[in-house]
Amino acid sequence: MTGRRDWLTALYAAGITPASFVPDASAGRVADPDEAPAPTVELVEDDELQVHALVPGAPPAVVAFLDGIQQWKVVGYDGVRPIAVAYVAAAVRQRGPDGRLRTAQWEARELVVAAPDSLDDARRRAIEAAGLEVVSAEADPAGAGQPGQALESLRREVRRARQTLERDMGRRAVEHLAKDEWLVVDGQLAISAALARHPRAIGVIKSHGAEFLEGRHLERALTVPAAHRTSVFRVHGGHGRTEVDSWYLRLWPWEGRDLYYGLIRIEVARGPDPGARAPGISGWLFAERATLSAPDARFDRLLYPIHDVETYLRSRAPGDLLASPASRLPRTGT
Amino acid sequence: MIERPSQGPGDLPPVPVGRVVATEQKPATPHQFHFWTATETTVGIGAIVKVQGGGTGDGGRVGGRGKGEEGRVVYGVVTDGFAYSDLASPLHDVIGAEGDPARAREAPTARAEIRLWTAAVLRQIPEEPLQPVPLGDVHMASDADVAQALRMDAYLHGARPTAIPVGLYTSGGLESPVYLDADFLVGPEAAHLNISGVSGLATKTSAVEFLMGAIFQHFPPHRGSVAAVCFNVKGPDLLFLDQPGALEDEDRRRYARLAVDPAPFERVRYFAPFKADGVNLNTLRTNAELAGTVEPLVWGLTEVLDFAEVLLNRDDIDAKADAFIDFLADRVVRRDFEDGFGGRHRVETFADLERLFRSIFDGLEMAGRGDIWRTHHIATIRKVRNRLGNVSTRCKGLVTDDGPSSDLPWGKFADRTVYVIDVANVDPLGQDLVFARVVSGLREHLERRDLGVDAVVVFVDELNKYAPADGPETYVKKMLLDISERGRYLGLVLFGAEQFRSQVHRRVVGNAATQVFGRMDADELATPGYQVLSPATKIKLATLPIGELMVRHPHFTQPIFVRFPRPAVLRGRDGVERYPPAEDLPFEEAVVRQLARLDPGMRPNQVKDLITDRDESDVRRALGAVRRERPVDVLALFRKRLGSRVAPEGVRERAAVQPLNPIAEEPY
Repeated sequence: MTGRRDWLTALYAAGITPASFVPDASAGRVADPDEAPAPTVELVEDDELQVHALVPGAPPAVVAFLDGIQQWKVVGYDGVRPIAVAYVAAAVRQRGPDGRLRTAQWEARELVVAAPDSLDDARRRAIEAAGLEVVSAEADPAGAGQPGQALESLRREVRRARQTLERDMGRRAVEHLAKDEWLVVDGQLAISAALARHPRAIGVIKSHGAEFLEGRHLERALTVPAAHRTSVFRVHGGHGRTEVDSWYLRLWPWEGRDLYYGLIRIEVARGPDPGARAPGISGWLFAERATLSAPDARFDRLLYPIHDVETYLRSRAPGDLLASPASRLPRTGT
Repeated sequence: MIERPSQGPGDLPPVPVGRVVATEQKPATPHQFHFWTATETTVGIGAIVKVQGGGTGDGGRVGGRGKGEEGRVVYGVVTDGFAYSDLASPLHDVIGAEGDPARAREAPTARAEIRLWTAAVLRQIPEEPLQPVPLGDVHMASDADVAQALRMDAYLHGARPTAIPVGLYTSGGLESPVYLDADFLVGPEAAHLNISGVSGLATKTSAVEFLMGAIFQHFPPHRGSVAAVCFNVKGPDLLFLDQPGALEDEDRRRYARLAVDPAPFERVRYFAPFKADGVNLNTLRTNAELAGTVEPLVWGLTEVLDFAEVLLNRDDIDAKADAFIDFLADRVVRRDFEDGFGGRHRVETFADLERLFRSIFDGLEMAGRGDIWRTHHIATIRKVRNRLGNVSTRCKGLVTDDGPSSDLPWGKFADRTVYVIDVANVDPLGQDLVFARVVSGLREHLERRDLGVDAVVVFVDELNKYAPADGPETYVKKMLLDISERGRYLGLVLFGAEQFRSQVHRRVVGNAATQVFGRMDADELATPGYQVLSPATKIKLATLPIGELMVRHPHFTQPIFVRFPRPAVLRGRDGVERYPPAEDLPFEEAVVRQLARLDPGMRPNQVKDLITDRDESDVRRALGAVRRERPVDVLALFRKRLGSRVAPEGVRERAAVQPLNPIAEEPY
């Protein structure tokens, strides 16, 4: 955040009310189940959604892992319209035969996100002069000027910036994948056509905000036992425009815990024989249970290499966008 | 010597091996800092590292360091190391591997690991203001860095360098000579060296041999002359210092790096007392090829009387006895003395003293003058006579009843010469006597500046025995304390060695400015004296290989590990294999050998003819006289001192009175 203090001072001098507020989950990512159109699915492996036992498998010798982070913080109010500073970053860390992860790509952006009409030209120039990118959030469709909705609009903008970064990085990553190398993406492949079409790219989805199945198929998918997977189904629509093949996979026994405990959904590019690829990929993803990504609260679904990429990204992120753990004031309920 | 710090215009910026980190829990301070490295690193415990606060050498990068830290350089030595992963609980690893350790090995991704090191600051440049260590890059130290870090630049360069190589600091493929400051090793600024280590690894003796060789070769001429006196107290340890030992190429390379010539000592003189027979030397250096090089160490009354306290225990020496011994020393010995009964005496030997005692007792008895002689009670005189008369028996071979003594070359000590006194096979009382007298002699001559050299290094092994932390206040312990506390003013330097430093008198150890540690026993390392060392340093000390030492020196703010080449002299064990000790010679042969050493052209038969049927004590006396006078014509003087042969007088038959009544005729 080089030079942020100067432009902030200028903003405050120009009438922006200082603020310091880190919204919940600003340091992490949340699913946006409500935004995407409902996907349609088509079973492509079995006639009926089945549960298949996994065959243990070893991962490929070289696998790259892609993940991104976003952090943001409200630094001021123009009237009641929030102005936020955001940091988004993504990285690809590649695992070699020695099992160690090394950074192949890293990129970060620092943005100032605000409602379109809250930053005039002078203020914009002050921010851009400090080397920050200015992004206008979507206008409040209701036009009511509700700060809560404006805040949500800022959050979407930050998420979009992070996704763009991930998408671009993913595209570059698959372009450079060697013949036997794979790319595992944290999240949906369908956000990028390049990723969704690459034969050695895998999306691992650990948030299940949007369900792709219903009825008995949904029940069977969500109760799949540990070390089992479901049949492969093809996903149309949803977040992406490119069709992908997908299936559920249970890493850890869920009985006695939660329905989603240890449950991940896999996405791979649409293929001619989906049932042939799923056992092998499932086998080596199951082997990724170890190393355990604890103490991360999502350790049951979070693959350790993805956790590693997150850790790497956080270690390089500026510290001033996080809520200070040492604040003397109790956290507010905003 | 080593190169001066330089950085030419074409030099590439050094590659950092680590980076200083500071957290609230582990902050950087002016005396300690932490840094991380790659998991595969050459950094280890004892490694010397350099931290650059920024500016030059930092690749021009900015960040992570405050203003004013540009150009600040901090040197540190690694004292502890930590490795950990992001594993929050061991249980997580168990869960990940489903309780099967074999599966843990099969995990496709290796956990993120850290190698975190703790380093103690050796030096900061500039030294003022003293600040916490900056969060800069960490580099392995070069030769020049090591010199700066250990403040060796002050005595390594300049018009009058005083550097004595002690070993090579090795780390990460780098190898830098480490030097001690002669002014702090031999005096006058500080002095003395103490070396500790477990027995049997040849570390202590080897280190001292190497260091003495380095001192002899590097002791600066402007500091004068130096000699060494070594007490060989066990086996053949120091008996072959003049013989070349086997060296490997690695040793020769280290010698070359330290600029020390890998050669045995040029000038070594060996001294040993006789055995009880008075003619065979009490040493293991008796092989025919070397026998002539050992000089006898024989003392008489005059040499021993001043050290009666050593020879007689506390119960023997009360105030009265002490006063009488002082009287003898001051008024009687080596003086023409009248006993008050008409007898004139010149007491130079125990035999002369015995004659004086007899004269006193006879005189008192004849004169009937009671129990007092010259204010001394006859009981005191008898007691002293009894105790002193016993000395030559208890120290037979070292102390002679009569005849001349053979001593160290007082006043003629030579520069760069080692004087080895072999007391390994002498009984403890004799060892104490030798030690006390030699050290006293050195001190007295150095005080008068007439020893022949300006400084003497005295090497004493087994300080656990001679200067124990507890136990009685012996004369030897007092001598060692005296050297430790006053020696540096005189040029009398103690190089002491022991197995358990914690059990040596604190003042003896504490006054040693230079401390050297070989492999240490774990129990010893658990004693309070080692609390300043980190657990990692203790572990390293407990597992040190032969040839590696930890050195503390006044210029070094932290202990430094160095490696030294094996000494260029023949090790004692190898020496006795190459030169097996000879069997004790018969009396005649031993006398011949003693004389032949003075005159190699002498014909043995002539000597044998001379001593045939002669009293052995007469022969020993004559031999001693010849040894002391070292005449041109050895045989002639020996013959003269032996005196003319006196024909034995046959026993005359005494006229006996016949019994009047032979017993045999008695009926009963």
